[in-house]
Amino acid sequence: MATAVTATKPPPWRDVRVLRVAGQILFLLIVLVVVRELWLNLEFNLRRIGVELGFGFLDRRAGFGITEGIEYSPNDTYREALFVGFVNTLRIAIPGIVAATLIGLFVGVGRLSPNWLLRKLSLVYVEILRNTPVLMVIVILFVGVILPLPPIGGGFSIPNTLYLSNRGMALTTVRPTGGFLPWILFLALAFAAAAFVWRWRTRVNERTGEPHHRVLYAVPAFLAVAVIGAALTGPLRLDVAGLGERGFNYEGGFNLTAQYAAVFLGLVLYTSAFIAEIIRGSIQAVSKGQKEAAEALGLTPFQQLRFVVLPQAMRVAIPPLNSQYLNLTKNSTLGVIIGYADLANVAKTAINQSGGASYQIVLILVGTFLVLSLTISFFMNLLNRAVTRKGAAR
Amino acid sequence: MTDADKKLRDSQMILGLEEEVAPATLPDEGLDLRVAPRKEPQTPGEWIKDNLFSGPVNSIITIALTLFILWFGSKVLHYVFASADWTILKVNFRSYMTGRWPLEELWRVWLGTYAIALLAGLSRGISVIPFVFSRRRLVVLGLVAAAALLVELYVVTTLFTHALVAGLILTIVLGIYLGRRFRDVIPRRAVLIAWIAAYPALILLLRVGGPNERLWSGFMVNLIVATLAIFASFPIGVLLALGRRSTMPAIRYFCVGVIEIIRGAPLYTLLIFGVFVLPLMLPPQISKPPNIVLAVIMITAFSAVYVAEIVRGGLQGIPEGQYEAARALGLPYRKMIRLVILPQALRATIPAMISHFISLFKDTSLLATIAILELLRQARRASAALGFAGRSMEALLPAALLFWIVAFSMARWSQRLEKRLGVGER
Repeated sequence: MATAVTATKPPPWRDVRVLRVAGQILFLLIVLVVVRELWLNLEFNLRRIGVELGFGFLDRRAGFGITEGIEYSPNDTYREALFVGFVNTLRIAIPGIVAATLIGLFVGVGRLSPNWLLRKLSLVYVEILRNTPVLMVIVILFVGVILPLPPIGGGFSIPNTLYLSNRGMALTTVRPTGGFLPWILFLALAFAAAAFVWRWRTRVNERTGEPHHRVLYAVPAFLAVAVIGAALTGPLRLDVAGLGERGFNYEGGFNLTAQYAAVFLGLVLYTSAFIAEIIRGSIQAVSKGQKEAAEALGLTPFQQLRFVVLPQAMRVAIPPLNSQYLNLTKNSTLGVIIGYADLANVAKTAINQSGGASYQIVLILVGTFLVLSLTISFFMNLLNRAVTRKGAAR
Repeated sequence: MTDADKKLRDSQMILGLEEEVAPATLPDEGLDLRVAPRKEPQTPGEWIKDNLFSGPVNSIITIALTLFILWFGSKVLHYVFASADWTILKVNFRSYMTGRWPLEELWRVWLGTYAIALLAGLSRGISVIPFVFSRRRLVVLGLVAAAALLVELYVVTTLFTHALVAGLILTIVLGIYLGRRFRDVIPRRAVLIAWIAAYPALILLLRVGGPNERLWSGFMVNLIVATLAIFASFPIGVLLALGRRSTMPAIRYFCVGVIEIIRGAPLYTLLIFGVFVLPLMLPPQISKPPNIVLAVIMITAFSAVYVAEIVRGGLQGIPEGQYEAARALGLPYRKMIRLVILPQALRATIPAMISHFISLFKDTSLLATIAILELLRQARRASAALGFAGRSMEALLPAALLFWIVAFSMARWSQRLEKRLGVGER
């Protein structure tokens, strides 16, 4: 009996379970040894050129200027400089995602239009942008479109309101004051009021069958409360744009630099071509019968698209859209080629300025982009779940 | 898929019609579509009415777009033929292509190009897919050839270079002829091996006894870095993909970590890492490698994780039954992967792989940000020269066009290949 058992049990060096565990331990050991070797080299080399190893440099004075974004002076710390860069990255990424989606949607639908000319033109748009490096798109827009605009002083302007030139754009805008925080309470109240009115109209519609006009009732309700609140708290002030004293720059208002415009436009156009293809693909993925059924119900072409085809296409489109949004965010680093001060550009300057705090800054960079990617994916997953659940309930 | 369908697909391929084919052009033998009423062939007038003026909205769109196209087209034509001064391209063309590569070493580049041209011709020649001269294709080819000739005549200035270009075309033709002639003698595998061997041979030809890496520049660098990275990243990517699906947690988590971290970082960040941090991780006695080597390492790493995700997609498409069958045959893991799983998985990934390669090729323009003189940077340098103030667009547009031509033709080729392979249909 005992001999039979030992006969079927292989020796440890041929036992799969033992081998698997041993193999993994060996693998981890190799990884550890390699990583340790790299780290020791890094430590040694950094010591040799006299660079500190930790993150202490973050609190030192940065000493370089950033021409873009929120308030900052060269006397601020590295931490603040990197934060300015981070905000600049978001300033490209968030409006960029919205704009690219809108243009992409438009062009993608255009690819399927019954109008031959529109179809072909959309195709040309997509094929031109999709096959050119995005860096090239940004540079060409900067050199070929933004810089040839008239210089400051000339150019398009509505005095004290809007200025456009090759130095960028200045627009009179509103800024929050001390009364802004209390006003948020009023906004919440306004939202609640609007929701209440909305509910009430829905009920009226359900009970009596008369048209609900929910939007017509809810929007004024919201505005009324919000405006009364604004009158009480004074949350916003006007920030008037104008030329600087010597006429070399803009002062006040909402400012966009020429670099921002080029990076933004470049990324939006480039990404919209890919989004258009996603939209087209996912609309085509909706079975033909759905559209025919909608047509048979007497929906207009717009209604067919809005209520039948697009909601179903959304489900197919969301995962690839997510990866395009991530690409756009990551590509915002390419502004470096024309000197847009995004996070990566500031980081590069910081590496040079700090005398070699390189690995720390690269760690911060990679970490930040990981967090950004995860955040975008998180929201897209939420959206995805909402869309699929809606479909399942029906 | 029925035979008739296949025939239809072939005919679409031959005609170069990637898009929708109106039912009226379907061959009608043996098809269920026979029951559908046949459309009368349209007159041009009907076509215009159906496609351009089918309703008020449509008509407005058509008119607006026509006006836009006329306006924009006339602007473009005026720019290209009247207001632009293309001297900058003429003066800098060699530096666009090979940059600072010394003139007396240029024969290496030409020799390599000739070898690739011959191989390309050979592969086309022995291929069994017939080249069909449809009218549309001939027109497109003719236009492209005419434009290319025009550019060649403008850009190339010496008779010797003209001869070299002509020789290049003759070499391709010779390759096609030889391939046709000896189609049955040359095994297809030999051509494949020649392609694989050509790559290291080309690098050796350029490097051994030639200029050092710091002089490598121009469009050449874009092409070399892209191909080098894709070749190098392929095996790494496959290993990462297999590792990610491994049942051993240590290996799986390691691969997942590597893939997700690199995928989450922009390529530019990786390049910064490569230039600033990677050299510090080498043993102190090694001096800093040239930027281009560091860049190739980082782009390879970047590419590998994307290849891994593509291959993972292919692996997930393999039914469990294939694994079970392979195990039932008693194949050990490595044989199962090599003989059963990978051949099927990789075939399904070919289109995705090509589009990854295209985007990698476009991404090589990022080398400009770390002071490597690739095409984009060469173009910007050219426009910075004193004599060419205000001529930046003339410097940039041809470079953009060059990128575009390569990327677009690869994309087109991939579409055809995809149809021929019938991915997702078998």
